[in-house]
Amino acid sequence: MRWLLWIGAALCLGAQTPDFQRDIRPLLGKRCVACHGPDEHGRQAGLRLDTFDGATKTKAIVPGDSAKSRVIARVSHASRPMPPTGPRLTDAEISLLKKWIDGGAGYTKHWAYEKPKRTAYPPTANAIDYFVQQQLQAEKLTPAKPADRGTLARRAALDLIGVPPEPAVLAKYMQGGSYSEYLDALLASPQYGERWAKVWLDLARYADTQGYEKDSKRTIWPYRDWVIRAFNENLPFDKFTTLQLAADLMPDPSVDDLIATGFHRNTMTNTEGGTDDEEFRDAAIRDRVATTGQVWMGQTWGCAQCHTHKYDPLSHKEFYQIYAFFNQTADDDHPSDRPVLKLTSTASTLVMKELAEDKRRKTRIYDRGNFLTPGEEVHAAVPAAFHKLPEKAPVNRLGFAQWLVSQENPLTARVTVNRFWSRLFGRGLVESEEDFGTQGVGPTHPELLDELALDFQKDWDMKKLLKRIAMSETYQQSSEVSPELLQKDPANKFYARGARFRLDAEMVRDQALAVAGLLSHKQFGPPVMPWQPDGVWLVVYNGDRWVTSKGEDRYRRAMYTFMRRSSAYPSMMNFDAPTGETCTIRRIRTNTPLQALTSMNDPAFMEAAQRLAERAQKESPADPAKRLFELVLLRQPNKAEAARVAALHRQTEAELKTQPENTGKLLRYSDYLYKEDREATLIADARTSPKEWRYVTADPGAEWTKPEFDDRNWGAGPGYFGYFEKPQETTPIKTTWDTDSLWLRYTLDLPAPLPTNFKMPIRTNAQFDIWVNGVVAWNNMFERSGHYEYLLNDDGQKAFRPGRNVIAVKVSRHGTKKSGQVFDPGLVASLPVPVQKPGRADASRAAWVVVANTILNLDETVTRR
Amino acid sequence: MNEKLQTALAATRRHFLQGCGVGLANMFLAEAQTADGPLAPKKPHHAPKAKSVIFLHMAGSPSQLELFDYKPELVKYNGKPCPDELLKGKRFAFIKGVPKMLGTPYKFKQHGQSGAWLSELLPHFSSIVDDVTIVRSMSTDQFNHAPAQLFVHTGNPRFGFASMGAWATYGLGTENQDLPGFVVLTSGGNNPDGGKSLWGSAFLPSVYQGVHCRSHGDPVLFLSDPDGMTRNVRRKTLDALKDLNAIQAKQSGDPETEARMGQYELAYRMQISVPNVMDISKEPEAVHKAYGTEPGKTSLANNCLLARRLVENGVRFVQIYDWGWDHHGTSKRDDIQYALQPHIRTADQAVTALIKDLKQRGLLDQTLVVWGGEFGRTPMRENRGGTEGAFIGRDHHPYAYTMWMAGGGMKKGLNYGETDEIGYYVTKDKMTPRDLQATILHQLGLDPHRLHYPYLGLNQRLIGPSEEARVMKDLLA
Repeated sequence: MRWLLWIGAALCLGAQTPDFQRDIRPLLGKRCVACHGPDEHGRQAGLRLDTFDGATKTKAIVPGDSAKSRVIARVSHASRPMPPTGPRLTDAEISLLKKWIDGGAGYTKHWAYEKPKRTAYPPTANAIDYFVQQQLQAEKLTPAKPADRGTLARRAALDLIGVPPEPAVLAKYMQGGSYSEYLDALLASPQYGERWAKVWLDLARYADTQGYEKDSKRTIWPYRDWVIRAFNENLPFDKFTTLQLAADLMPDPSVDDLIATGFHRNTMTNTEGGTDDEEFRDAAIRDRVATTGQVWMGQTWGCAQCHTHKYDPLSHKEFYQIYAFFNQTADDDHPSDRPVLKLTSTASTLVMKELAEDKRRKTRIYDRGNFLTPGEEVHAAVPAAFHKLPEKAPVNRLGFAQWLVSQENPLTARVTVNRFWSRLFGRGLVESEEDFGTQGVGPTHPELLDELALDFQKDWDMKKLLKRIAMSETYQQSSEVSPELLQKDPANKFYARGARFRLDAEMVRDQALAVAGLLSHKQFGPPVMPWQPDGVWLVVYNGDRWVTSKGEDRYRRAMYTFMRRSSAYPSMMNFDAPTGETCTIRRIRTNTPLQALTSMNDPAFMEAAQRLAERAQKESPADPAKRLFELVLLRQPNKAEAARVAALHRQTEAELKTQPENTGKLLRYSDYLYKEDREATLIADARTSPKEWRYVTADPGAEWTKPEFDDRNWGAGPGYFGYFEKPQETTPIKTTWDTDSLWLRYTLDLPAPLPTNFKMPIRTNAQFDIWVNGVVAWNNMFERSGHYEYLLNDDGQKAFRPGRNVIAVKVSRHGTKKSGQVFDPGLVASLPVPVQKPGRADASRAAWVVVANTILNLDETVTRR
Repeated sequence: MNEKLQTALAATRRHFLQGCGVGLANMFLAEAQTADGPLAPKKPHHAPKAKSVIFLHMAGSPSQLELFDYKPELVKYNGKPCPDELLKGKRFAFIKGVPKMLGTPYKFKQHGQSGAWLSELLPHFSSIVDDVTIVRSMSTDQFNHAPAQLFVHTGNPRFGFASMGAWATYGLGTENQDLPGFVVLTSGGNNPDGGKSLWGSAFLPSVYQGVHCRSHGDPVLFLSDPDGMTRNVRRKTLDALKDLNAIQAKQSGDPETEARMGQYELAYRMQISVPNVMDISKEPEAVHKAYGTEPGKTSLANNCLLARRLVENGVRFVQIYDWGWDHHGTSKRDDIQYALQPHIRTADQAVTALIKDLKQRGLLDQTLVVWGGEFGRTPMRENRGGTEGAFIGRDHHPYAYTMWMAGGGMKKGLNYGETDEIGYYVTKDKMTPRDLQATILHQLGLDPHRLHYPYLGLNQRLIGPSEEARVMKDLLA
């Protein structure tokens, strides 16, 4: 918008010379450079218009003389104008070009490739507010009033630590404490590191699996923990950078330092049968080059892997020169994910390790990016458009890392401060956080961006930067907006108000748990598995299953939830969290019905509502609604809100009074949800004291699965059933079965009400089918050896009844007899929730659960304002 | 809606329409957030031939040589060692050393007016060949499942690219706002190797990602009201939510609040409309018989019937994944006799019933149905580990395979493309996954070369950065 206004202004004034960066480069970039640019293969007519030499050599542009410049003739051509596709250049655009050429056709570097420049501001002023207000004045806008304490407290907490503030910290600030001290307390809290680590882990494409087809588990959470600690210890960003990219190349790295190199070991490993390890090693190296370019310098280097970048200064060859820096590590797409660093007897983590001198790889340019067609050999070097490697820097990953955080680097500090700004304002000063190149969007406040960058790169202090931003009046403004302002600045690019945007996926969930008093403060360690619907993980090749965690591990912050790349945790996915397959520089916020379904109906949110309701009633028995607002929104309800909530409670209570069963479910939501907590063994297997099954080894005929079938003349014996040529210590056979098939029956009495969720734990290397009372309850669709729990199918679940039941199993050997065979069945199920005597106030209590569910779904609740 | 909000929304819309001339990415992002919703129907690039797509992906890749591509010469060479020139410089997933040629054990015959050669395994499909375009000259450059599937559906063998259904809904929106625009159905067993990225939105806003409708539990996750909450109570909470949000919106002035409430109401409607459309139990007995459907089961047949119900209700893109087509011949369970036969029997019936059903309802003309795998299977018998096992199967084969299409403006009864005498290479009218993508988008009224989204400094497209993708005019009616 601002650019456009400027272009307009330039045209009106007439006499003014157009600015190359502001007016001409975007025009050439959009309309000309794709065919007349840096890419030597795609270049048409041998002409390039992105450099002074290229444009003037062929007289396409004659500096000072637009009439002689062929470019003007070509774009003005009556019948065959350039560009050949798309709309013609407008008269205004052609006029701009002419004026620029007549003014000497000065080419300057793209702003982002020049080092940041300091723009003076009054010594007494806050730089952020000064530069923002300069523009507000130009736009004839005035800043908004400051936000009230409660709003600011919630805003700063969600921004800085990702969860509501601790009660003591909040109380101190709300009772007149200083804002600056409040910020200090947040920045010093251990939750700070978790919030910002998650931001970083999006970039690091962190996940707990290897990716690709099999997507097996991998242990790299020690790296995740390292990032949390690094933020909490406020490791300077330059050191934070060099450790992650090259700690293994530094003198005497500590174990912690080496863990940091997990950053680039988060690339995926392909273990699918028949894949060429070199192909996917190459894919990982490219990913590392592209990710490094995006994360530190906002550069889209990945574009240059097949051909020279069409817009930005990175040639095809230069891509592979950067590749060469990363091409000497020992990891090789092996299923074991080697090399790993052993931490304890049970834990290890993926790390970087440089190859020995004699094992060094050659790096070649891959023609059109195909690793099967290697071309010219290249050596590690930084791109020519940028500064040189620092003096004394080694020509390896460490040197490259030092180059990234060198004071000469025009981008790293800008890109980094922009990222912090964006997380606090919902949008960067450069909106295209992932692209600071010529195709990106220019900064709304270039002087401010440079000021912040220059200040940041003095000491690379991240907490200081965050506090500086949060202390500004710009940040502290109220987010309320008038229709006039909304019309003038819908996206809030001028900052005449505070930012208001939806919370990140993790915050939506963590906030709900926190206000319910459920959120665990436990930090670090292996990933956890909070409740998720059955059937989200459908994994066949390996035995990986989602096993709901116990105790407080159910309520850890979302960042500790097990992250499977191919099967994201549903509520995270629905709220736009990335999957970790590739580096995600910024999340695109969407607004969908699936989000509404999640926060309304996801049992995890409902459980939070139940606990939140309990808490509000306990802490404020006379007025639970007031407490609900305080806990969730850090404010009091106004009169209208209080009345509306009271009405909802009244209506719901009236309805629930006639629904004792629903009331019980709402009040004891967790009891119903965690069926594994109610699990009991109904038929013990060989792990404890195995029960005897009836069995035969010859076909018993058609009716044998029916409950009424007479099996009195069958044999009887406990597991393990089976046969081994040599006795096995781990699976001692109790009942010999050495034929092709085995038929088993077990008669079981069940009480009413019935248990639910019948599962059969079975250890076997055979195929099998299961019937419950004659109904098919399991078809072994795919064979796998080992010990697994098989959840019986819907028909099988429904076939159980109070009283006598018969489970029938037919087992068929899968391999050869020589390799041995084993079968050991058991049965577990979840007992029903015990019935409780309804209490008099139950309907009212349950109605508060419904109200809490509503409050957790307010727009204000899922929004940071 | 109060006046302030109305003004605000109008202003927002105006802003988006202006487009500002800079910050293309901005504009595209903004577009996804317009007041009518990102899934509101949008104008196509040109008049469409198909309103909806049903893409039936047989994950694992069925053998073209057992089903569609008749190779009597290969039968003659059965058991002979594979010639060297077919192996040199080639990469296979499992074949080692010198495998033997493998002729099909099944009989082929010509069918219909088009005279299509089809195997005896396709008795149902044989009856509809004159409604179908069969392409026997598909060729890809990926020979592992995950990359090959990703290539078909996202235009790139690597993770991180948007899927075809996401592109289609991004380009066109969808007709029924009470249902997801892009629905994915899987028939139990394995999820496809490419995982959820096959229906992901990648860099496109996540509103365009496929919604995986499950056949157990909620068809869409979290669709049911929580245990203990009746519909009536849920309605009351939404009414309260609306009033409470309005109180705040009056103060904050943010039009997003109204937009969010709209999504809650849509969610509420989806809670009714999705289970309704997913409930096949009320379909007449004749329909169940034709498809081979059994309500409550997870099966390709059920998914075929669901696909018809979904497109009938205005869903833009239905993606079906069936599993278990990877017939390597390592055991009875993936043998081309023991395992392929029962598998194709049910698929043949269900898929044919789908085409007939669509046709009879007058939906086939506006629905493009696509059937196939991610690659083909080798004319050689697989010899995993260098030795021939007891069972018969074929390895992955990228160079030649068969797909077919029906409806949505495709030619009827066309036999397109040829392979050599043993079915190893395409000899005539080669077609690639990129061509397929271009053709599908074209039939939907989208120009595959123009449909793009700016990301990472590039105009990303389904068909990739090069111009090699072709709309296959020869296949179009």
